[in-house]
Amino acid sequence: MYLRMFINQYLMGLKLTSRVPAAIFWLFAFPTVMLLGLGTLFGGAKEGPKLVWAHAAAGAPVDDFLQQALTERGVKIEVLSPAQAEERWQSGKLAALLEGDDGHYSLRVNNYLMMQAMQVEALVQQGFLMAQAKVQGAGDLARVPVVRSSPGGHHDGPYAAFLLPGLIGLNILMMGVFSTGMVDVTMRDKGGYKRLATTPLPRAVYIGAQLCVRLTTVVASAMLLMLIGALVFGVHNQGSYFGVLLVIVLGGFCFASLGYLLGSFARTVESYNGIANLAFLPLMLLSGVYFSLDSAPNWLQKGADLLPLSPVLRSLRAIFNDGASLASQGTWLVILAGWTVVIFTLAVKRFRWV
Amino acid sequence: MEWAIEASGLEKSFRDVHAVRGLDLKVAKGEVFGLLGPNGAGKTTSLEMLEGLTKPDKGEIRVLGLDWKSHGQEIRSRIGVQFQSTQLDDRVKVREALALFGNYYEKARPVADLLKLLQLEEKAESFQSKLSGGQRQRLALGLALVNDPELVFLDEPTTGLDPQARQSLWDIVRNLKKEGRTVLITTHYMDEAEALCDRVGIMDKGQILQLGTPRELIASLNQPSYAELEFQGAGPDVGPFAARLGLPVEVKAGHWAVSLSEPRQDLQKLLACVNELDLPMQQLHVRRATLEDVFLHRTGRSLRD
Repeated sequence: MYLRMFINQYLMGLKLTSRVPAAIFWLFAFPTVMLLGLGTLFGGAKEGPKLVWAHAAAGAPVDDFLQQALTERGVKIEVLSPAQAEERWQSGKLAALLEGDDGHYSLRVNNYLMMQAMQVEALVQQGFLMAQAKVQGAGDLARVPVVRSSPGGHHDGPYAAFLLPGLIGLNILMMGVFSTGMVDVTMRDKGGYKRLATTPLPRAVYIGAQLCVRLTTVVASAMLLMLIGALVFGVHNQGSYFGVLLVIVLGGFCFASLGYLLGSFARTVESYNGIANLAFLPLMLLSGVYFSLDSAPNWLQKGADLLPLSPVLRSLRAIFNDGASLASQGTWLVILAGWTVVIFTLAVKRFRWV
Repeated sequence: MEWAIEASGLEKSFRDVHAVRGLDLKVAKGEVFGLLGPNGAGKTTSLEMLEGLTKPDKGEIRVLGLDWKSHGQEIRSRIGVQFQSTQLDDRVKVREALALFGNYYEKARPVADLLKLLQLEEKAESFQSKLSGGQRQRLALGLALVNDPELVFLDEPTTGLDPQARQSLWDIVRNLKKEGRTVLITTHYMDEAEALCDRVGIMDKGQILQLGTPRELIASLNQPSYAELEFQGAGPDVGPFAARLGLPVEVKAGHWAVSLSEPRQDLQKLLACVNELDLPMQQLHVRRATLEDVFLHRTGRSLRD
């Protein structure tokens, strides 16, 4: 009897959600665009750093050695005449311009393109050292081999790999604070709950079905993100899918409860908007959705780790990017569970049907 | 007598508003009972207490012989409640809404039957937000009928509807009575109460002022008819007329109203006075007393105020 009520309520909830364009946008289109957009934007150029070299006459052995050393490191060199090079420099698109020949070099770096410029500068310095060594007959110098990785893992993740779990977390946050809370306030404000309260439908069945609808949407949207991550950026889950699912479900439960809790403080949809943003913005900014907070002051990091979204993101990244086991995430899961218990209890206490 | 609703001594306050002050009400099974009163009279609060939505501060309620505290689920499964609007998601279709609500009950009427009863067959696949006012009101009523309820609560079911839509809703309510259901209806339309209700209770300031059949209430006024005299422009001085007539005359906007307890004599006297004073009367309108007059008499206020 109650199972039948639950299933029908759940299916109707999914159906109604699928009919709301805004819900589809925020659940599926928004994270997809974010992943594709930011993942590409901060993904780094695939063809490696570029360098323009302006020199009048080629030919000195040190020039050849330098060119060889730079090419080996993946620098794409374009040789131009000084006049042409100057023109290019002034166009503002060059990160770095190497001038001179036969060991008398100077490097101009573009302050506006610091990220690329610093990389090129380091490579040029290194290449020049190697070229000098070669000229003095030292032969090839060895380099320290480098492996790109994320901490604790074997994943040479591009930015998209860092971003993907962040977007899953962002989705969970928005699902709770916006979708769940807004529907809760609307139902109470417009008398939808009152309508239900005159039927024998138990509230636990109704709320349970609502929660499952929310969890389904965040899991579906996470699956979409992972699919795009795999197809477009070659980012794959390094850990167990069960672990990822568990963190999403636990996080989803925590934030759906938060939605109900916040909803209990607002009488109208209009007043809820303010409350929702008040909760949303700090959680989004401080929990490391888009960027790691590792370069932030220590006290801020410590504080942010105590917010409920941080454990979700930390565990997701550890499992998804670094293949960590669920057991190794104990501390984070305990923090998340603690938040869930506190928020859920308060939400139940404050929940009003009428 | 078997009672569908028994309430005694109901009280309810919200912060500084004493919404219901000692409500006593008994509704017999199979009866259509109307709760009449202006906005703010405490009708909705009373209804919500009877529907189990609001706990009374004081007083006793039994619905279908059962107590809300111990038999809430059973009462809910045997009553139907219609609200002033459907309170549904905009994107739910008519058929889906009826099926969804049917799902809340152990036994539900087939959706097809309900659609036929509500004359919404052609709108079955429409979103509820796309329905006209009358159709939406019928759907709201349909949601209250999915479980084949013994007792139906209707809260101002025809507010804001055009005459045709009101008629079609009235037909459904009359049918409910024929099927032996008990109906408790709130309204501020007097004609609606006269047309549908076996008994009415006139409510104001959180209390029932008078209870009875519409006929009894009107008869209790002892003023079966009213004469209304209209004048062009501002009208003459009422003083000499009232003195000569010897009956109470009320001066209203645009006309004088005279209550006639003995229409035959009083009307003759009235016309004689008009003649003797040579009043520039344009129209004379005689009408029987209505529930509106009962309300006015009991409260000194008009219902629509």
